Amino acid sequence: MADPARIKSEGAPERTSSANEEHPKSEETENVSASEKPADEKELASQDQPKQEVKPETAAVEDEEEGPSGQPSSKRLKVEPEKKKEKRHKVDEDEIQKMQVLVSSFSEEQLNRYEMYRRSAFPKAAIKRLIQSITGSSVSQNVVIAMSGIAKVFAGEIVEEALDVCEKWGDTPPLQPKHMREAVRRLKSRDQIPNTKYKNIVFH
Amino acid sequence: MADEEDEPGFDEELDDGTSGVDVGHGRRKRLFSKELRCMMYGFGDDQNPYTESVDILEDLVIEFITEMTHKAMSIGRQGRVQVEDIVFLIRKDPRKFARVKDLLTMNEELKRARKAFDEANYGS
Repeated sequence: MADPARIKSEGAPERTSSANEEHPKSEETENVSASEKPADEKELASQDQPKQEVKPETAAVEDEEEGPSGQPSSKRLKVEPEKKKEKRHKVDEDEIQKMQVLVSSFSEEQLNRYEMYRRSAFPKAAIKRLIQSITGSSVSQNVVIAMSGIAKVFAGEIVEEALDVCEKWGDTPPLQPKHMREAVRRLKSRDQIPNTKYKNIVFH
Repeated sequence: MADEEDEPGFDEELDDGTSGVDVGHGRRKRLFSKELRCMMYGFGDDQNPYTESVDILEDLVIEFITEMTHKAMSIGRQGRVQVEDIVFLIRKDPRKFARVKDLLTMNEELKRARKAFDEANYGS
């Protein structure tokens, strides 16, 4: 895999647009603004940008689906994906360029950290084994891909929250278990941690 | 160490006999130690995170995967885990939803690219 610092902007937009033109469900793939596709297939750029992009994009998608009444949805969908593809194309290029500028100005330590962020992943075999031991039947490859991706985002959410806690308490990294536990407690109160083991809370 | 894990059942499973076979966390060999260390560094922790923190995170991740799997088994086609179920469960969380969509799309692209490459090699 290529060095994340050397991100090619030329290859990505063309690939994105051509691939998405073939791909019928263009609306859902609005959020495919992954700018570092050539470099690191499975890793996405910093979490801030996809979050910022998801909000305007999902708003646009919702507008499109509800839309003004009267026009048949099939006609509407044919016209708007073109405009949206162009808009997404520009947004993609913008984001890619911004990422390039950003990464090129990283210090050595920041580059290391960014590389670890992009390249670290859960081993597919272990995840597959884990899921299969729970279901008892085999699972498809896509399930493993999806699950390991979500697990990584989940781990990231916890670490980020724990770093917040650490900073708030006036401590320094490395993170200690008490930070992790407080982070979990906070995320639980925000319902970001699934819990299907019902706990009978008497005094709330 | 007196782990005050929020997850109930943690201590119970430790006290039960058959520790090697059951699905409880804590007893099994550490599955993701190396990868989680790199991940924690990538997400902002120190270059050498504490082992206890890595352990806690591993338990959390395994529990998360377990919960998701159980939920996915109970919706859609019962007893099986399919991608659609996972996407459905994740729909409310924008980050994870976007990530899954990206990953699956990229996977499709890669498969298509590989197929095209193979056909170019062996086709007419």
